[in-house]
Amino acid sequence: MVQIAEKQTGELDLTDLSDSDDERIPLKDVIALAEKVTAALKPLVRSLDRSMHQELREILQAIEGLRTELSRVDANDIFAKRIPEMGRELGAIVKATEVATDTIMNVAEQVLAADRSDPEKYAAEVEQHMMAIFEACSFQDLTGQRVTKIIHTMEVIEERIEVLCKMIENNNIAPQTSGEPTAQEKRNREKLVSGPAHDGEGVSQSDIDAMF
Amino acid sequence: MRILIVDDYATMLRILRNLLKQLGFENVDDAPDGHAAAQMVAQQKYDLIISDWNMEPMTGYELLRHVRADPENAHVPFIMITAESATENVIAAKRAGVNNYIIKPFTTEILFAKMQAVFEKQMAS
Repeated sequence: MVQIAEKQTGELDLTDLSDSDDERIPLKDVIALAEKVTAALKPLVRSLDRSMHQELREILQAIEGLRTELSRVDANDIFAKRIPEMGRELGAIVKATEVATDTIMNVAEQVLAADRSDPEKYAAEVEQHMMAIFEACSFQDLTGQRVTKIIHTMEVIEERIEVLCKMIENNNIAPQTSGEPTAQEKRNREKLVSGPAHDGEGVSQSDIDAMF
Repeated sequence: MRILIVDDYATMLRILRNLLKQLGFENVDDAPDGHAAAQMVAQQKYDLIISDWNMEPMTGYELLRHVRADPENAHVPFIMITAESATENVIAAKRAGVNNYIIKPFTTEILFAKMQAVFEKQMAS
């Protein structure tokens, strides 16, 4: 039977074990060997543990950083509050302009249809209708204020999108969108629909006249 | 003279109706989109069609092509009044057989001048 020797330094001496022809090893020697191996590996495990701990700490810090940045974006505030509010403002603008246009056109139609046989009565009637037009034009003040609110909201959203863009840049995240046109954009292209042009864009009436 | 005006904005239809009335054209029908206009054209003869471009489900450009493809109405004068001012739009409309093209916003004078030009050309041919 082979006895595993132990050096004075505490290291295992496996020479006897490898030199021996006897294949039987007592259990207590196996246990002793396992204990020694475990003891020998402890410093390595400890160092691995420390480095993993460090890595995990850094990952945690990165997640915390992202959470802080994302809280600045406040997507819930944008989608639950700001965008619906913009929709309401735009709806109110459309409604206000519709009401004002309707009023002005009603007045214009009444003026055009007014009896002109009595000049004095006609003048008084026209004057009264003109006052109604002035009143109707007050919509511009309200729509102006609503547009200002929308611009402010757009600025807030722009600011938050900028935060997101910086996060994406800092983390080397490739954008998921391909820049492909949406179904509506494709449809508009097929149907040659692009909406009103801005000043200086598109062809002028005189250019079109020349073409005809 | 019977005129068909086509626009998806009720206000624009009303403006056009009033302008045409001022110009002496009282017999005016209106449609809110190209599809409704196509159905009206199939049932009623018109001397002039004035149409917007950007409408759902059928655009003014599609209405123009539909009208030109119909032998019964292929000759009906067609004026496009639209905010679409890209060169490709004007060229496409001209190729499809539009008689004149007016950019929004427009004045009564421009509308009258284009209508006059269309009718004079038609009488000459």
